[in-house]
Amino acid sequence: MWLPLLGLILGISLGLLTDIQIPDIYESYLSIAVLAALDTLFGGIRAQLQHVYDDKVFVTGFFFNIGLAAALAFLGVHLGVDLYLAAIFAFGVRLFQNIAVIRRILLTKWSERKNA
Amino acid sequence: MKKAVYIRFTIILLIVGFMLAVQYNTVQNPETRDTRDVWAIRQELARETELHSELLSEVRMLEQTIGKYENMRNESPEMALNDTVNQLKKDIGLEEFNGPGLLITVEPSLESIAIGQPIEGISPDLLIRLVNEINRFKAKVVDIDGKRIIYSSAIRDVNGKTTVNNFAIRNAPFTIKIGTSSFEDAKKMYNQLEASAIGDDFYIDNLRLEIGDPVDNLTISGYDQSVNNQFLLEIPGGE
Repeated sequence: MWLPLLGLILGISLGLLTDIQIPDIYESYLSIAVLAALDTLFGGIRAQLQHVYDDKVFVTGFFFNIGLAAALAFLGVHLGVDLYLAAIFAFGVRLFQNIAVIRRILLTKWSERKNA
Repeated sequence: MKKAVYIRFTIILLIVGFMLAVQYNTVQNPETRDTRDVWAIRQELARETELHSELLSEVRMLEQTIGKYENMRNESPEMALNDTVNQLKKDIGLEEFNGPGLLITVEPSLESIAIGQPIEGISPDLLIRLVNEINRFKAKVVDIDGKRIIYSSAIRDVNGKTTVNNFAIRNAPFTIKIGTSSFEDAKKMYNQLEASAIGDDFYIDNLRLEIGDPVDNLTISGYDQSVNNQFLLEIPGGE
């Protein structure tokens, strides 16, 4: 249970300690990649709770979503259309849905445990 | 099975955390670019060179003092110490100054005399501005209306009177004495003061700066009050 949290803390401290900065023009790519990663992560948690979790889907989804989002942003920059907004919208909506599902599942579990 | 899932999540969270931290870094302290042009860099360089030469001359002076100590160590250490004490006293302004300099007289402006306006004292802000201007032109000694300016001198308003070293300054006209290192410096100071805009600032307050010609021999009395020191303690004699 604590292992993933440890990973998160380790990642954050690694990033803060190395003090890496990316150029301004790539900032939007990174922000969209973070969003895609968070979306996949919550999707994975939901799948795990719904017992439909598949390793391959999760791992490929993670990298594919990040790549797709970055590619979409790249295309948008070159076409002069803010396509990254589309990705942000899609990921944002999915993020909220996933979190809502996770909340419901946890609520159901909790009330079942209370009744039992 | 369960363990493998946890490890996958850990790795993904590690990546997410890293990306978040990098994003945070980028947003929090954006890289500042050096946008100075060649001229600005050149000026900065000139400033640094000046500082460098100043430091060098200071080092040379201290080395001379060390040499003096070395020479006098065997003969009379007291003399060397006395020398240093006198030098320090001179540097901070406790001793009388004799040397080149110039005299500035602050007078009421001709217009205010013609109209018959009452003469008001100089404001501390204006006086501080003048002293800053004089110091900017490398004055060695400044004396305002008989009050020697030293490192701890305060120019301020006390009950509506402008004071220097806690003594009130007369209403205009009064004199300001400026001592410089050499006659050349005094001439330079004269030209710089003539050219500077400080006269206009005085004119707003109905005052006029009468800058006297540089003179070869100017006497400025030393600071006559006791100097407060916070950090040094005097050891009683005989110890």
